[in-house]
Amino acid sequence: MCKSIIRQFVIPLLAALLFLPLATVRSAQALTCQVNPNKVDINLSYHGATLTVTGENTAGDELIIRIGNAAGETHYKYMGKAGGFFWMKKGDVGFKNVPGVYLLYTSRDIEHLLDPAGQQANLIGYEALKAAAEMETASDELNGNEARWKEEFIRFKEHQNLYAIHSGTITRQHGAASDTYQAEVAWPYQAAPGTYTVEAMAVRNGQVVERSQVEFTVGRTGVVAWLSNLAFNRPAVYGIMAVVVAIIAGFAVGMVFRKGGGAH
Amino acid sequence: MYMYLPIALASVNYLLVIGLGLGVGLLSGLFGVGGGFLMTPLLMMIGIPPTIAAATDANQIVAASASGTYAHWRLGNVDFKMGLYLLVGGFVGGAVGVQIIKFLSATGGADFLIKMTYVVMLGLVGTFMFFESLNALRKAKNPAHVAAAAAKSAAPVEKKQGFFASLPLQTYFVKSGVTHSALVPIALGTFVGILAAIMGVGGGFLMVPVMIYMLRMPMHVVVGTSLFQIMFTCMEVTFLQCTSNKTVDFLLAILLLLGSVFGAQIGTILGKKLHGDQLKILLAILVLAVTAKIVLELVMEPSMMLAMKGGH
Repeated sequence: MCKSIIRQFVIPLLAALLFLPLATVRSAQALTCQVNPNKVDINLSYHGATLTVTGENTAGDELIIRIGNAAGETHYKYMGKAGGFFWMKKGDVGFKNVPGVYLLYTSRDIEHLLDPAGQQANLIGYEALKAAAEMETASDELNGNEARWKEEFIRFKEHQNLYAIHSGTITRQHGAASDTYQAEVAWPYQAAPGTYTVEAMAVRNGQVVERSQVEFTVGRTGVVAWLSNLAFNRPAVYGIMAVVVAIIAGFAVGMVFRKGGGAH
Repeated sequence: MYMYLPIALASVNYLLVIGLGLGVGLLSGLFGVGGGFLMTPLLMMIGIPPTIAAATDANQIVAASASGTYAHWRLGNVDFKMGLYLLVGGFVGGAVGVQIIKFLSATGGADFLIKMTYVVMLGLVGTFMFFESLNALRKAKNPAHVAAAAAKSAAPVEKKQGFFASLPLQTYFVKSGVTHSALVPIALGTFVGILAAIMGVGGGFLMVPVMIYMLRMPMHVVVGTSLFQIMFTCMEVTFLQCTSNKTVDFLLAILLLLGSVFGAQIGTILGKKLHGDQLKILLAILVLAVTAKIVLELVMEPSMMLAMKGGH
């Protein structure tokens, strides 16, 4: 009877007490995330940027890093045949609940990390994006084929370098108590100025168990900011400047060469 | 190596863009024709949206034509009276063309119109130049033809103006030595102004033959007067594109200008050393190749089935 009590309750209790500190240590190892630089300047020589995402994670966890901005609405023209011969922009199509930028970096293929339900719940992968997206158009031609046009939307975004999935690109180093990770992010110059979020997710046994996020900003500076503001906020001044500079340049070259420039 | 263009929202290799300007400027100097009709399609090929490419090219042409006008003005080769009439038409045409682009940008048809205008105009000019040069080369090989052509050119030309002579507001243009109704250059200027806005070109490749064959102006006055008119038309188009469509990328225009200015000078020097008709036929082939490229883009299924709204 006594032996039975010891086997059934005391040993498990002791075992639990023995491993409790370890379990506590494991849950205390919060996932961290940093991005460097945390401010990207769009200047004259801008051609995108390289961002380094680093952090610590619980040893053995798989990782997903998602970089993007809040889901919103975006509108395009869709291509179709006019008169059965020429391809041209035919009508409008909008997509709701889609991020402007969606870059995914993972430690393994997504299929090996999360099941379809998990991908959808955490908005991981293109299938999850397509499931969350809503298409809006007045065209009967498109309405009957929503899946195909959502696929076209993803292709278009990939073509613009604004959507990308890089599987197995997170490098990890195993430490005594925890792991460290690093991902090199090729930030596309096509991404609009704004605030973006880097979100790191730790995956254990097919579940996202921890999250950590950090923000960074992309903004115009110097001549690019000045010209952009002038062109859109004071277009008359911008127009006069463009004309005057071109005339001065043309006459200056004419005076230098005395024989005239390119004719029209 | 890269420069970010704040209006085109593109990062381009600036050496490539300067090289494009240099190449087109070289052709301009070499063949004595404008580079605008080649520059806009080339800019589209490197990823600049069509509406930005066309508007920015107009800005670049302001500088190129100002340079040319200055030189011709010093030589006394500008008919200011004719130029002003052409200009009145050019201003009206430019304003109409910009509004057409604005309306079509909203409906998504601007890119299609720009491409179709290029196909028609380049196709016509390229074909005409090709066969004219081919005939000239054939005749050059036949001495009998050369003698006949010389006799024909020596004979006095009977000026039959028919319909033009019946129009009101007839006026004498001293510099050109011709009499026309003021309505003729105004109408022609309007037509070229519309093309300038839609295609982002000066229209010289149309204006020069019109002045020679329809207005019967002497050759030495034609180029200077055409450049004078084009300079003002493109100034207006540039300003209106800035205020109405916000499609002029000033930095892109500067890069193109840097190349085209020097290219034109190199082309002028090279042109003096090469045979004219052979050069013309080469240019015709180039023009037709650009036309074929645009036609293929229109008839082949695009790789992307979605496009940005408004062309940029």
